[in-house]
Amino acid sequence: MIFHSLDFLFFFVTTVAIYWRLPHRWQNVFLLGASYFFYGYVHPWFLILIASSTVVDYSAARAMEAWPTRRRRFLTLSIVSNFGMLGFFKYFNFFVDNVHAVLVTLGIDVSQPTLRIVLPVGISFYTFQAMSYTIDVYRGELRARRSLLDVAVFISFFPHLVAGPIQRASFLLPQVEATREFSFEKARTGFLLICWGLFKKLVIADNVGIIANKVFALADPSFWLVWSGVFAFAIQIYADFSAYTDIARGTSRWLGFELTENFDHPYLARSPADFWRRWNISLSTWFRDYVYIPLGGSRVPGWVWARNVLATFLLSGLWHGASWNYVLWGFYHGVLLIATRAGGTPRPQDRAVATWRTMASIAVMFLLTNIGWLLFRETSLDAIARDLTLSPLGGSALDRQTAAYLFILAFLYSVPLWVQSVWVEVHRARSGEPQPSVVTGSPWPALALQGAACGLALTAILVLRSRTALDFIYFQF
Amino acid sequence: MLGCVFATMLMVPLGIRVANAARGVKAPVSIYLPAYEASREREPFNPDPISDLARLQPGYVVIGDSMAGRIDASRLGQLSGRPVAPLLQAGSGSAYWYLALKNWVVASGIRPRAVFVFFRDTNLTDALFRLSPWSLDHVALEREDELNHVVAMRAGTAAHRLELAVEHVYQGELARQWAEPAVLQWPARVLIASRRQRLEFINGMNARFDLDHQRKSDTADVQISDEEGADFPRFVDRSVLPLMLREARAAGLTLCFVRVQRRPIGGRPPAQSPAMRRYIHELQTFVESHGALFHDDTGDPAMTIEMYEDGDHIAREFHARYTELLFARLRPLFQ
Repeated sequence: MIFHSLDFLFFFVTTVAIYWRLPHRWQNVFLLGASYFFYGYVHPWFLILIASSTVVDYSAARAMEAWPTRRRRFLTLSIVSNFGMLGFFKYFNFFVDNVHAVLVTLGIDVSQPTLRIVLPVGISFYTFQAMSYTIDVYRGELRARRSLLDVAVFISFFPHLVAGPIQRASFLLPQVEATREFSFEKARTGFLLICWGLFKKLVIADNVGIIANKVFALADPSFWLVWSGVFAFAIQIYADFSAYTDIARGTSRWLGFELTENFDHPYLARSPADFWRRWNISLSTWFRDYVYIPLGGSRVPGWVWARNVLATFLLSGLWHGASWNYVLWGFYHGVLLIATRAGGTPRPQDRAVATWRTMASIAVMFLLTNIGWLLFRETSLDAIARDLTLSPLGGSALDRQTAAYLFILAFLYSVPLWVQSVWVEVHRARSGEPQPSVVTGSPWPALALQGAACGLALTAILVLRSRTALDFIYFQF
Repeated sequence: MLGCVFATMLMVPLGIRVANAARGVKAPVSIYLPAYEASREREPFNPDPISDLARLQPGYVVIGDSMAGRIDASRLGQLSGRPVAPLLQAGSGSAYWYLALKNWVVASGIRPRAVFVFFRDTNLTDALFRLSPWSLDHVALEREDELNHVVAMRAGTAAHRLELAVEHVYQGELARQWAEPAVLQWPARVLIASRRQRLEFINGMNARFDLDHQRKSDTADVQISDEEGADFPRFVDRSVLPLMLREARAAGLTLCFVRVQRRPIGGRPPAQSPAMRRYIHELQTFVESHGALFHDDTGDPAMTIEMYEDGDHIAREFHARYTELLFARLRPLFQ
């Protein structure tokens, strides 16, 4: 079930209406049923996987507390079962294809297995979330929960089940266990998030997504065309993924939950490290806490640190998909991080110089991010190599004019994103607050303004939504 | 507080109506598929194929989407000794095929020996598959009540009524007609001042992105296996298939439905689920019981991967070979 469908609207309204009439314990039972219905709506067999993951991780955590001396074994059980499931459904074909290619290269002709496996949506997200629970219990940072129901709700909570943000057990489980009360304030802010998310998805992401799809379908693209497509994809993936997160956070608030923010205006990042503090925050902090720091983090000699960074980013790339271009994308970002840390310079004292330098840093980082998106979006290493060797002087006049047209069109659709990002950054710089407050003083003018903003979003959706509905990009991961 | 936000939100889009009125845009009357879309200006029906068919008096007619492009009409003409008339529309679905049969073939009064309809898997019972008004317009008459009824049954009425109600209140679709071109043309206006040169640029850009410039891909036009739609009893009465069979019978035409083989994987035809096998069996039984013929390419050992170009398409250089194969498989029909 997808957020921008009438099926979901009906499901969500019904769920909220029933949910708030139930006592707390029954709310969780109902939430689990609703989440499983949401997840199994198209493919009911997916439920076997999520239920298995839940039972294994719940049991492993309980066993760790019951037999502390053997807790490493139970952690291994949890990790092996989660990675085993993920590996089979996500990486089996990748593994077989590559082994087959290597054997053929060595002159060994073997028939390739033809098992084609459907990737269950959301499996990368909920397995990581489930593992965060057992790892935290193993580390003694969290106690194992007695209630299987609470753990099951934590893993399957439907607003963020399919595409995150990945929630830590220490953050979400206490909310599952606590008594919740309906809050008009939460509902109001949640509604704003939902409207903004739908606008970003239907008006921005889906419209610029068509540009990216057209360009990346070309057999003979020229330099400027490729980069106009990359720019469109940069807008698409941010608008698309952050839209999902906003809708997930908004719907969660209607159910009395709070989810962590997943994006912090990433295209205003000044450096690779800054970018990863702003982009897919829940995933990057997961890798930081469960891969990078256990490997030694930054408190190690320089070359070990560089190895840790590369390993973390290679795994992060592989997490996105079973394809070499994702691995390359992860490697590229790892190298960027290592290179920029090595080349750091002190901040200038002069305010004007500092401002210009900040703007230049943002522009350079955006360009570097776009190179990364080329690696991410292209479908093969051959195509990546071809795109990266195109000459800016090549291509016809029509191609250059078309690229300019596509740049402007993609930018036009993305103006609201840039305006919001700059507004938040300027506010942050002036006031020191992380987010502008949306209601100050007398609430009524502000409420009317918010209603008008939602109304404008609805107007844009009615008039300018894309005629081609595209899936959320992160569903495929 | 929440009510205030809701009320304001619902009021603001009424500005669309004001904008429409200011531009003098009036809602056109509903067209032939009110169950599917709000009112819009339609392209006119194209009657030319009727006279073309009447003049040609073909022995065989071929209807379908790009899958039917695998038939080499001139080769089939040579083999059968009769002229062949292809009525193909890339990206079309069963609604188009039904309308082409009814409004062109039957309307022309011709008596071909067979009318071939090429399809994949569940196309024939999926009335919503590629229900693209842009391609339907030139084959649809002023009213297509039966098609509309089928689409309404398949699409479900609740969602459609809600969409119509929203359109009735806000006129969003009407506004799209002027807002969408305005947004899409704005970058061109920024770049090119001359109206004539702008038009040339738009045409050149569209040509730059046409099929000839696109990558060949295994996944191009590979229709995703429609497991949910593989339920023949559930969908047959909500499809155009009974209408096609009735039209053909009334006009004394022989329909021959040809299921094309999808792209082979690992040297074998793509795997079929038990539900799909059952569906195809029930489809065959149904069409044969209504006097039509059925042929399934799936599993034909002669249909090797070398014949495929991209996706489920047969490469141009193999069209003649495929045509000869079909001629051999259905020889009694051509004698």
